[in-house]
Amino acid sequence: MNENSEFSHSYNQHSMPIKSYLAHPIAGRKDELLAALKGFDQCEVLPAENQNILALVTDTLNDKEDEILKEKIEALSSLKLLALVSGFNTPQ
Amino acid sequence: MKKRLGIISFFVVIFIAFIVVWNYSYEQGLEEAYTPVIETPTGNFIPSESGAFRRFDDAGAGLDYLNMPVDENHQRTLDTYYDNRAYPGAPPSIPHPVAKERSFGGNTCIQCHQNGGFVEKFNAYAPVTPHPEMVNCRQCHVTQNTTSNFKENGFTKPEPPKVGLGANNALLGGPPMIPHQLQMRENCISCHGGPSAPKEIRVSHPDRINCRQCHLPKHSEQPTVDANTFLRQFDKLNEK
Amino acid sequence: MYDSLTNRRNFIKKMAMLSAITAAASMFPGIVFASEQEKGIPDNANLDWKKGPCRFCGVGCGILVGTENGKAVAVKGDPNSSVNKGLLCVKGYHQIMCIQSKDRLKTALVKKNGNYVETPLNEALDLVASKMKESIAQNGKDSVAMYTSGQSTIPEGYIASKFMKGAIGTNNLDCNARLCMASAVTGFLTSFGADEPMGCYEDIDHADYFVTWGNNMAEMHPVLFSRMLEQKAKRGAKIIDFATRTTRSSTASDKSILFEPQTDLAVANAICYEIIQNGWVNKSFVEKHCSFSKGLTHIGYGLEDNFQFTDKPEKIDFEAYKEFLKDYSPEKVAKYSKVSVKDIKYLAAIYGDPNKKVVSYWCMGMNQHTRGTWINNLVYNIHLLTGKISQPGNGPFSLTGQPSACGTAREVGTFTHKLPHGVVMNKKDREMAAKIWKVPVERIPSKPTYHATEMFRAVDRGDINFIWVQATNPLVSLPKTSRYRPAMEKKSCFVVVSDVFPTPTTDVADVILPAAWHIEKGGLYGNSERRTQYWQKMVESPGEATPDTWMFIEVARRMGFEDLFPYSKENHVEEIYNEYRQFHEGAKHGMAPLEVLEKESGAIWPYVNGKSTQWRYNAKYDPACSNGEDFHFYGKPDGKAVIWQRPFEDAPEKPDQEYPFWLNTGRVVEHWHTGSMTRRIPVLHQAMPNAYAEFHPDDAKSLGIRNGENIKITSRRGSCTLPASINERGLPTKGQVFVPFFDENMLINDVTLDSFCPISKEPDYKKCAVKVERA
Repeated sequence: MNENSEFSHSYNQHSMPIKSYLAHPIAGRKDELLAALKGFDQCEVLPAENQNILALVTDTLNDKEDEILKEKIEALSSLKLLALVSGFNTPQ
Repeated sequence: MKKRLGIISFFVVIFIAFIVVWNYSYEQGLEEAYTPVIETPTGNFIPSESGAFRRFDDAGAGLDYLNMPVDENHQRTLDTYYDNRAYPGAPPSIPHPVAKERSFGGNTCIQCHQNGGFVEKFNAYAPVTPHPEMVNCRQCHVTQNTTSNFKENGFTKPEPPKVGLGANNALLGGPPMIPHQLQMRENCISCHGGPSAPKEIRVSHPDRINCRQCHLPKHSEQPTVDANTFLRQFDKLNEK
Repeated sequence: MYDSLTNRRNFIKKMAMLSAITAAASMFPGIVFASEQEKGIPDNANLDWKKGPCRFCGVGCGILVGTENGKAVAVKGDPNSSVNKGLLCVKGYHQIMCIQSKDRLKTALVKKNGNYVETPLNEALDLVASKMKESIAQNGKDSVAMYTSGQSTIPEGYIASKFMKGAIGTNNLDCNARLCMASAVTGFLTSFGADEPMGCYEDIDHADYFVTWGNNMAEMHPVLFSRMLEQKAKRGAKIIDFATRTTRSSTASDKSILFEPQTDLAVANAICYEIIQNGWVNKSFVEKHCSFSKGLTHIGYGLEDNFQFTDKPEKIDFEAYKEFLKDYSPEKVAKYSKVSVKDIKYLAAIYGDPNKKVVSYWCMGMNQHTRGTWINNLVYNIHLLTGKISQPGNGPFSLTGQPSACGTAREVGTFTHKLPHGVVMNKKDREMAAKIWKVPVERIPSKPTYHATEMFRAVDRGDINFIWVQATNPLVSLPKTSRYRPAMEKKSCFVVVSDVFPTPTTDVADVILPAAWHIEKGGLYGNSERRTQYWQKMVESPGEATPDTWMFIEVARRMGFEDLFPYSKENHVEEIYNEYRQFHEGAKHGMAPLEVLEKESGAIWPYVNGKSTQWRYNAKYDPACSNGEDFHFYGKPDGKAVIWQRPFEDAPEKPDQEYPFWLNTGRVVEHWHTGSMTRRIPVLHQAMPNAYAEFHPDDAKSLGIRNGENIKITSRRGSCTLPASINERGLPTKGQVFVPFFDENMLINDVTLDSFCPISKEPDYKKCAVKVERA
């Protein structure tokens, strides 16, 4: 489940990506991860109430920015695993 | 001689009468045994309505299912549902030893699979068949006696339709459309209601009954129609 | 541009979040995200919900439309509406998608040299007004006509009536409700003297039996059918399906009884025969509250132009009625109705059991009938003889097919003979209208002119030189379109069509006016249970699309009637409703004030002292009852409902050697009427892309027809080719073909017959003779 074709096909492929992920925190550090992700302007986070998981949507201006953001998120020590769910591109 | 002939012809008459009567009652018996099934010559394009409302009445599906507490420990998942099928829409194989190898199914399978219920031996709820009128179960459903293959096979299972929020609905919060075909699966509640329904596709409102009031097949199987007999002229006239 | 880009990004972000949530849910079933599970709509979808009635059928479900940044994006059932309690059908859930159709009419189009030219709306309205004036000047007032709709809002219907009857002074106003509800109206008027059902939907919660007469409610009125199924599951209520075709409703019913087309008349009489024979008559009710009448017989079928008929009612007594019924013993009727004696007795026993509450439901099966008024009367007879009427869970209930067939067509009165209160033939009613409209009373003509079918015949003859069609698609929905399509193409008539989408009717227009859709304007609808519902504009309409009411007003003003139409563009809906309410003041038909309708999900008239009246004619519920008895049928001068002696008479055209099949037409759950809206909703089109012809398997076998194969259906009037459907959605009886009429590419109405009920003038779409061959 990476590219959600149902939504992405009608949009231009070269700009302004929006991606959604499931972020798995290291046990006991969910709140820490939530706070860290909320610190990024381009992130929208929704924590699950009864599971150790967070839903994350990133909204960036171009592919470059998207890459940088992803590297930053992956560098967070409270993060165990980041799984891409879907990606969308919208026209400029 | 005359007497003998008379006796013989008498017995011949009796015998013929016997055959006629026997045949007649045999024919009658056949009629009793089969509910006249009205046949559709060449398959359905528009999903059939037969059995759509089955089990809402007598088996108490619907309201009973609504009031039944969820048995968290014995739920099926959609993964195990598809594990049991060669591809989405294929007849599931029989994952348990069968009672009688020589039985074609009618009297045996149906005992558990017509209305479902908890089976101690397998520690699970029996899945309900959407087509209990088809009694030759093992025509399509076979047991799995080995996990090995005769020769290696490259068949890959197609992805099953996605389920869940937003997967099959046209509008936010709208009713999801039916992402699978309906042939022999006209009775929605069999798979989508009750304790044997895979938890991901268990309906929250089994008491609604008239499912296809809101949920329609996502893809039509109706033959595409040549629009040459088109009576509309608007577009033609609008050319500039 | 920036704004719409942001909207789209917000939307995509929501979809992205949704897909993450979905993925998580598949990994951890039962997972709960912070307050996201509000009925499937993620909390961060910041929707603004506005209430209104559904755009489609006469059930009148309450809907909530979710708008976001000026766009409608979601629909849900209004949980506060007592009609549907939060549930809708598949059409209702997706209705808003049609307005995004790419071929939406956004500008006025004027036909010039055979081509449509985009024209500023103001110029197009100028042209419409000048053509109308020209026609009146040259050929008189009765050369202009307007054909409106049961989908017109109350203000639209009211302005159409005021414009045609009050301002211009012609009764050339009729509407498509003539094609679906007219027999119900004449049925109510002849039996009770007042239109519309006495009961309400709450009857469903009390009845023990539902008898549906020629009515596939599971597909056509699915939300009400669901309410019935709920009662069946909870209380063991029973559904009896009495029809000519096995449908989804038959499958869901407790019993399905099939009858030969047209013989419902005889079966209804046979039920009354049984009720009397078995002593099940509620004697005190009949003595106090009923009278007996008979009318003319052999009344014709309206097949000839300028057909005229007036019934001559004559009082009779109970003994004469009993004598008449002797021809309708179950044994005699069983012979030609193909309903067994046992089943007739079974039906009679249900109605006759004093301890069982029974509701009868019907819609087009009884109304679209060459004896439509009669069969309505006959079902009322059953309920009157047993006294099962006007009480919770007991009563006859005539369903409607259009969202405001009741509210607009019947209550405002967009028929040739009607006024907002009463009829044009009545001097007092004309005086009332003249006073409220502020016009001289002489201007309102006292003679009705053309009913729907005759109006299009007049177009064909050249008697009408200007016609304005609004919110309806007659060239798909009229019977025998094979005559009326060429008629509308004639040069002798200038055709104006107001619509939201191009249709086969706009194809023949000289001017096409772009109309605003449902939620792009404010308005009021009235549903089958006398419930008036109000909604406000929710989104902007595209281009120059304009509310129909306002286009009527603009043209009226251009014709010199500025003083009669002084409404403001911003508040005209409210101003018009308040003017219209004056017509119905009083305990018999009082309408709820707008302030109430703004807050509540509709109110049922008579709305008296701040209360809806759910059961009319019953003194316990209806403050208009004044005779001191338990019941008062105050529509009739003597306060008594009429039990009618109406015989069985044959259909005008029956299967014969040359045309051996009955043709029955109808609808499917996916599409609404001519499909101009629902076919533009992808979900619905994908589920039901085109029409088809249903056959009984035995007929298919003897004709050698395979499923999906193209079949040509031909009558004496025209033909239509469609794929065969054998034992799929519906199963017609042997010797019958069924075709849904929604498909504009497969016009089955080219084949149908334009015979009608002489009393109601409503055509019969359910019976004509056809032959069938492989195409």
